[in-house]
Amino acid sequence: MPHKAKILAIDAGGTMTDTFIIDEKGEFIVGKAQTTPHDESIGVANSSRDALKYWGMLPEEAFPTIISGIYSGTAMLNRLLERKGKRLGLIVTAGQEDYLRLERGIQTYLGYSYSDRLHVATHRHNEPLIPRERIRGVRERIDLFGDVIIPLYEDEVFQAVEELLDQEVEGICVNLLYSYRNPIHEVKVREIAEKVMEKKGVQVPLFLASELYPVRRDFPRLNTLLVEAYAAEPSRGQLERVQNKVNELGGRFNIRVMASHGGTIGIDAKKLAPTLVSGPIGGVIGGKYLAEKLGIKNVVCTDIGGTSFDLALITDGEFHIKSTPDIARFILNLPLVQIDSVGAGTGTFVRVNPTSNRIELGPDSAGYRIGVSNEQENLDAPTISDCNLVLGLLNPDFFLGGDIKLNKQRAIEVIDEKIAKPLGLNVYDAASGVVRLFEDSLKNQVVAMVLGKGYAPVNYTLLCYGGGGPLHVGGCTEGLDFEDVIIPTWAAGFSAFGCACADFEYRYDRTVDLPIGGIGQLDPMTVSVLLNAAWAELRQKVISQFEKSGIPEDQIKFRHAVRMQYQGQLNDLEFYTRTGEITKKEELDEIVEEFENLYGRIYARSAKSPELGYLVTTAIVTGTVPVEKPDLPNEPLAGPEPPAEAHKGTREVYWRGNWITADIYDMEKVKPGNVLKGLSIVEAPATTFVVPPDQEACLDQYRIFHLRKKVNKFDIGGI
Amino acid sequence: MPKYTRETLKNLLDGKLPFSEVKVMMSSFKDPERFEMMLEIHQSRVPWPEKILLPLGLHLYIVLKENGDRVVKCDCGYEFGDYRKNWKLNALVYVRDTEEKIAEIYPKLMGPDPRWMEIREYYCPGCSTQLEVESVPPGYPVIFDFKPDIDAFYEKWLGKPVPTVE
Repeated sequence: MPHKAKILAIDAGGTMTDTFIIDEKGEFIVGKAQTTPHDESIGVANSSRDALKYWGMLPEEAFPTIISGIYSGTAMLNRLLERKGKRLGLIVTAGQEDYLRLERGIQTYLGYSYSDRLHVATHRHNEPLIPRERIRGVRERIDLFGDVIIPLYEDEVFQAVEELLDQEVEGICVNLLYSYRNPIHEVKVREIAEKVMEKKGVQVPLFLASELYPVRRDFPRLNTLLVEAYAAEPSRGQLERVQNKVNELGGRFNIRVMASHGGTIGIDAKKLAPTLVSGPIGGVIGGKYLAEKLGIKNVVCTDIGGTSFDLALITDGEFHIKSTPDIARFILNLPLVQIDSVGAGTGTFVRVNPTSNRIELGPDSAGYRIGVSNEQENLDAPTISDCNLVLGLLNPDFFLGGDIKLNKQRAIEVIDEKIAKPLGLNVYDAASGVVRLFEDSLKNQVVAMVLGKGYAPVNYTLLCYGGGGPLHVGGCTEGLDFEDVIIPTWAAGFSAFGCACADFEYRYDRTVDLPIGGIGQLDPMTVSVLLNAAWAELRQKVISQFEKSGIPEDQIKFRHAVRMQYQGQLNDLEFYTRTGEITKKEELDEIVEEFENLYGRIYARSAKSPELGYLVTTAIVTGTVPVEKPDLPNEPLAGPEPPAEAHKGTREVYWRGNWITADIYDMEKVKPGNVLKGLSIVEAPATTFVVPPDQEACLDQYRIFHLRKKVNKFDIGGI
Repeated sequence: MPKYTRETLKNLLDGKLPFSEVKVMMSSFKDPERFEMMLEIHQSRVPWPEKILLPLGLHLYIVLKENGDRVVKCDCGYEFGDYRKNWKLNALVYVRDTEEKIAEIYPKLMGPDPRWMEIREYYCPGCSTQLEVESVPPGYPVIFDFKPDIDAFYEKWLGKPVPTVE
């Protein structure tokens, strides 16, 4: 039966462009092609062609039925990392001209391991996006209440713009202190700049912080503005080319781009910087979608990849948002789906610390490479994958479906020499110890995160994905009473799947700083009026964005949120409010109550400090338009006994001091309803799922495994 | 365990390695051969024959004399005497203790107040190279930077006998 392509998701990485196409039955194909940085649309077309050949189709046949297309790429990030963005000029409040050279201390060690963070000699300043020669200060000052303290010295603006234009800048950014409270000076700078440009007969785009990112925290705001002008805006042309290519191939859908807040936005979005940090959030969005479909409220998303372990929480069906994330050693003022990342993955190097004679994991890793067992990679330190291979958990002849043959003997020799001998252990105990240490450190992260949010594992379902996820999920959850532990059979491609699950959603934030009670308190109705006005303004921004895609207001589902804190405290909390327009005092009280509850849950009830009064720091509006999402597979249930053809054989596995015979299954042939008793190893081309001896895994109708303790408690083998 | 070529270490010593490479070296375990190789590089660069026991600064070394003495020596060959005595006492010194002298090296208002802090620059009497600078309150004793326990360092850290005269 021919396939009817429904959703297209493209991930244009630095070297390869991956394409993920889903049909109406939830079946999907993945294609790969070389990324073509000069015109990414070529790579996109090639990659879709590669994918579609599995269905025996051409892009021209498949594209017309596609109704949704999502793009994410690293071109923007690379432009930033390689400092190959636009030649910009910058106008700041006089006295702030050295901001980019001074930075915030934290930017000199962002992305470092803990030991390097403590080791000050490793800290280093970043090369500024704009050199000091193209930064001009103009005298003016607006205070934190938005009052003009020093008027704008307009002659200095004239001079600054002229000098910058003489330096042949391709754009001018303006970031004045407290402009989010009162944009009057930035607006004036724009007027003057336009006059000067007219006089000189040149036109360059202007980027005002008050217009694009009207949020508190001066330095991240400046960074975000610069990243927008420097790296994001130049990507617009690329996105348009991709869209044109899609149209050429018969596609009748508009490409959307994954953005940091967890939704997708159109390529004509006014702000593109939020699309810079979309990489790892796909899985979390997929987790949210799965939670919705399966009717689960709370999910811990865990992604074990080659280089890192990413953790995110979904609570009451919502992911958490972080307001000043960092990317490429810049702290930015963007709402980002909160993901905690630990530098520990299956490619993490294992070494014995010569000083303490203890096993040390990472912090560096082999990246996309596997380990010493793949001789061509020329690595000399073993990785977690090597240990898994030695223990018999990985099949040397079936890595990536057998595309890569692994040399188990070499892994044994290297681990013996570098790990086992120095520790005085045999090679199997050493490898087993390493894997346990690895899994324990992941487990600690999971527990810390769940407890840190004021919950216990029993409130959550743990979702595990990523290439290495299914292999270690048993070890990472051992002894933790999660409500359920689920592993989709498509774990290795779950992030791409997640991207295809994202809503079409715009989000706008604005700093409002409205005090309720406490010092400088305002009348509650004044607060309500000001908050309503901020929400209304943000709603308007959302509406005008959707208008560009031809979507009328009545199709948009609005949601309103605030960030709120106790006065004088530093961290604010974000939550959705029931209403977007406060009409009576009770509705404001309800918001305060919601904040109190959330605060009590995250910190401690006794830490609540209502006597300080409250501050609504930020007003937030998101507008969502429903889009087509991938369907989950839905297959009829069979009995608990897996079919004979699914059983590939048995293998000896070293499990915590004993050799145990493990049943090996072919993941694709396991039927929904089947129960696999541990110790079982379920192999698929892109991942390996280990069911520990005292547990069993049941595959449900959506082709998701549920891992649980063996029902018959007398049947515990091998420990 | 990391291992570096002599070329890499030479470049490291001369500040010619790109920071990204230096960062990797700093974040890795120390290469066990580092001390030996660095010593060899230093030894190959000085014009005199005495064996270097320990580098002491950018231009200074503690060397083993023929008679078994351990003395501080500049790379020009000037000798400051026994390493257990502060070599600075045998060096030339220039003290910046007035506004004018400080203004020679610092922009206005960016240097120290000489009533609170003076800058002492130590120079080699043999080659006039600036060897060390200390910034201390007026009247503060000359700082004795480093008095290493050479025997313990060789025997207990490096695990080898300390070089002696044959």
